[in-house]
Amino acid sequence: MTRREERVTRVRAVVDAARRVTDGRATIAAHIARATGLSPEGVELAFERHLELEPIETDVAKLVEQSAEAPSVHVILSANVFVGALRALAIARATSVRVTVRPSRRDPVFARALVEALGEPQVSLAEALAVAAIEEGEVHVYGRDETIALVREQVKPGVVVRGHGAGMGVALVSTAAASVPSAEAIAADVVAFDQRGCLSPRVVMVEGAEARALALAKTLSGALDAIGARIPRGALTDDERAQARRYSDSVAFGGEVFVGTQHLVGYLPTSAALLVPPTGRHVHVAQISSVDDARVKLGDLARHVVAVGTDDLARFAPAVPPHARTSLLGAMQRPPLDGPVDRRPQ
Amino acid sequence: MTSPLADSDALHARARAFVSAFEAGRPMPEPFDGLACDLVRFQAAHATGYARLCRARGVDPSTIRTAGAAPAVPTEAFRVSRVSAFPEAETPVTFRTSGTTLGARGSHAMRTTASYDAAALAFGRWALASDLTGRVPVVALAPSAAEAPDSSLSHMLALFAEALGDAPLGERSFFLEGEVLDVAGLDERVARASVRGQPVLVLATSFALVHLLEALDDATFRLPEGSRVMQTGGFKGRSRELEPAVLRRELARAFRIPEGAIVGEYGMTELSSQFYESTLRSPGGGPGVYAEPPWARVIPVDTERLEPVPDGEVGIARIEDLMNVDSAFAVLASDRVRRVPGGFELLGRAPGSAPRGCSIAVDDILGRTRPS
Repeated sequence: MTRREERVTRVRAVVDAARRVTDGRATIAAHIARATGLSPEGVELAFERHLELEPIETDVAKLVEQSAEAPSVHVILSANVFVGALRALAIARATSVRVTVRPSRRDPVFARALVEALGEPQVSLAEALAVAAIEEGEVHVYGRDETIALVREQVKPGVVVRGHGAGMGVALVSTAAASVPSAEAIAADVVAFDQRGCLSPRVVMVEGAEARALALAKTLSGALDAIGARIPRGALTDDERAQARRYSDSVAFGGEVFVGTQHLVGYLPTSAALLVPPTGRHVHVAQISSVDDARVKLGDLARHVVAVGTDDLARFAPAVPPHARTSLLGAMQRPPLDGPVDRRPQ
Repeated sequence: MTSPLADSDALHARARAFVSAFEAGRPMPEPFDGLACDLVRFQAAHATGYARLCRARGVDPSTIRTAGAAPAVPTEAFRVSRVSAFPEAETPVTFRTSGTTLGARGSHAMRTTASYDAAALAFGRWALASDLTGRVPVVALAPSAAEAPDSSLSHMLALFAEALGDAPLGERSFFLEGEVLDVAGLDERVARASVRGQPVLVLATSFALVHLLEALDDATFRLPEGSRVMQTGGFKGRSRELEPAVLRRELARAFRIPEGAIVGEYGMTELSSQFYESTLRSPGGGPGVYAEPPWARVIPVDTERLEPVPDGEVGIARIEDLMNVDSAFAVLASDRVRRVPGGFELLGRAPGSAPRGCSIAVDDILGRTRPS
């Protein structure tokens, strides 16, 4: 077996382990719901639709090619959606045989189960990780920019830090898109992980007249109500509730707010600046007149955009930040297992 | 039936009557809540956005009897909407926030600055100069109004320099150009005051003071006896950040003045009133406690229902400002505050709970880490 084949096999083993965890999820689903704040239905949705259990060969090959090789990898999962542990461990195993995983303190259940299901003596769990004591290899940090910066400050020279920061998704809807299916697809992207993933769309830009954008905002609110009946939202954090109130009052002043039982959709007229709502099924809709207008309106926000979903990939390509993942609407939360979710430069 | 402009003028006159009464040491001319409710009704009648916000919150402005019943306008609304009760064409002055977030600055349109000026000067004089017997040299370490015509801070400092300062016509009071401090010019002005035995009033942004401290290194820059320093604003990435207590200590050391002569000011572009530490007014009064003028209130509220929290508990600042006649009487800031004897403590922004995913936090997008 070549070295490359060995690395592919190690990644495949992680996926197989995730499959075993999924098969036995009845024992951990309630723990995950408590730890993440997702509803039981939200946890089930994540297992069923958003865990990459059937990666195609070319994607796995790409993941391996994109990963460096190192004597060891230490993975710090400080903030991520719970299924993100699969990709994190797959990348780590593509990089090295020896992997240590420090699960998120808040949400350790799935990561622990995955490592245990893998059953590899060279892959271990660590409750604490003294970053400054690491002598070699790589540290993969999933968390806020401050956390990544702190790790970079602490590591010894020669230790490589790969940061995977926080981000967000944006949906772009062309003039050709039908309103109802677009809204339903966007709602599906929003509802996954209660919008707490870095691929989750929080801003929707609608090409065409203002009335069209406003109508889509209303349709999206209806679609979120419908999907919310099947996949209820879990508990919001205090911050999310507080920010949602501010967002709602700010939008009410200048535009329209569609208040659902478990969501908010806000719309501000074209002249207004973008307003990014908090996570927790809160979406901001804005009108754009053209592809270039989308690029201009994204402006400073582009550096935070990890994923763009659209009904017309070719048409909106010029507006997509160069590092962002692209997908059709409804598939934003199902990225192929082909490397890190966050492709922004380190 | 009167015109909106006439109504506005009448409300301004009632607001300024609070200032006149304060300056004269008389009781306030009417209850705070009475004018507040009239302002809310006026703003709901002439600012469609505010009327929408009232509807969204289920508040009928025609029936409110207390200021606290008025929905507060979040500061974000000033960034995405025009918050004003008069037509855009009748806007002589617009103040703008310094930070640009997502390509937009918050803006506060003013039909007139008369009430703003009267209130700023009256309470500024109370906090900074009530013990001074005449005009004194005023030096400002901040951009001048000419350099930053849309800065409410620069406008206010120019007002102070003109009303409190002794500089002859044509002599400058501002010693910061862009990011460059004119230390030599400042030195010359202070030296002249020292010879005359005059105290100096220094008006400065926090980042300019840090730049000055860095320029001085361990040296001192003695100010004449009786001098005082008003410091305001955050650092906004324009200098290294210092904790308030550290900055206060360092300034006292560098200027050779008591720490009590350093007065913090808290103001916002979205407001027409300011708040000051009363360190000069009540020696020994704890720094970090900000006093309100009788025409403005700072009320800590819970973050979700926006109801006042019990005294002594921390909440988000809901600021009621009778001088905000043509914009928003009640503004919801992002800063945390706590009521204490003598006023309120300013506690900066909420640290935020640990994120439950990798979606970026609103504060991280906006680059908000501390009060501005």
